Amino acid sequence: MSSFSIAGHEFHSRLFTGTGKYASADAMMASLVASHSELVTLSLRRMDLQYKTDNILVPLQQNGMKLLPNTSGARTAKEAVFAAELAREALDTNWVKLEIHPDPRYLMPDGMETLLAAEELIKKGFIVMPYVHADPVLCKRLEEVGCQCVMPLGSPIGSNMGLASRPFLEIIIEQSNVPVIIDAGIGAPSDAALALEIGADAVLVNTAMAVAQYPENMAKAFRLAVEAGRIAYESGLGEKRVQAQASSPLTDFIGALS
Amino acid sequence: MNIILNDVPYEFSGNTLKDLLSALKKEEQGIAIAIEQQVIPKSQWQSTQLIERSQVFIFESIAGG
Repeated sequence: MSSFSIAGHEFHSRLFTGTGKYASADAMMASLVASHSELVTLSLRRMDLQYKTDNILVPLQQNGMKLLPNTSGARTAKEAVFAAELAREALDTNWVKLEIHPDPRYLMPDGMETLLAAEELIKKGFIVMPYVHADPVLCKRLEEVGCQCVMPLGSPIGSNMGLASRPFLEIIIEQSNVPVIIDAGIGAPSDAALALEIGADAVLVNTAMAVAQYPENMAKAFRLAVEAGRIAYESGLGEKRVQAQASSPLTDFIGALS
Repeated sequence: MNIILNDVPYEFSGNTLKDLLSALKKEEQGIAIAIEQQVIPKSQWQSTQLIERSQVFIFESIAGG
């Protein structure tokens, strides 16, 4: 399986992971290690002054994982730029997963605000990874303003509905000159395998691993599925046909009985 | 000094951001600070002076997708 790179950083694993929704920090770490993921997302929030939260940064960094802060919670471009600047200070990285969703019910990404924020963040020196709808026009615009990859959704965040946007994902993959990472909605390893089979460079998975009954095992299942999907893509899948085409030669030996 | 920290009045002794962090007994790793919606780089925490009623926000990194 080939590696790929974003902004000059090489990744050997095509499975990116989120760190949210795990029952404990230990369960999270065990799953992320089993996933072989090299890029993990984190969020930022106002500090809780009363309670001490688990420090998950040290184990993530000890395992060599690259940290990708997101701008979750931002509802406008202005808020997202502020969140990115905070994240750069907090995690000492200029990489950011840009996500702007004004509506908490469906968490649909706001494409217009995302494009505005992406332009500004790129001017400020950020490596921008925008989470967007599976919108081929928007993805092209984001590439043109300098995003180092695009992250179109398969289906709504946390919905486990898989690649509901598949026809549009395929257009994005065909047109893109930057890596395409399918993010959100990937609910089963088979969804991840399909994403890689249709040519996505990587997937980002969180909920499906974190809420599994056995997250560590599910992480392994996703790792294997992503590898299988990519190897299948690189091997060249056969064309789909309406009519049957025999796998065995249609010789006339049965006719010998008559 | 009295400031507004994450929207709540907070009193501590000292007058720099570094003093504030010492008073809070918080680790510096994984956190970011803004004053009046302006992000303050870590390198300036030692020298940044607060004034009475400063609006300070401290953020921390947490798990997320």
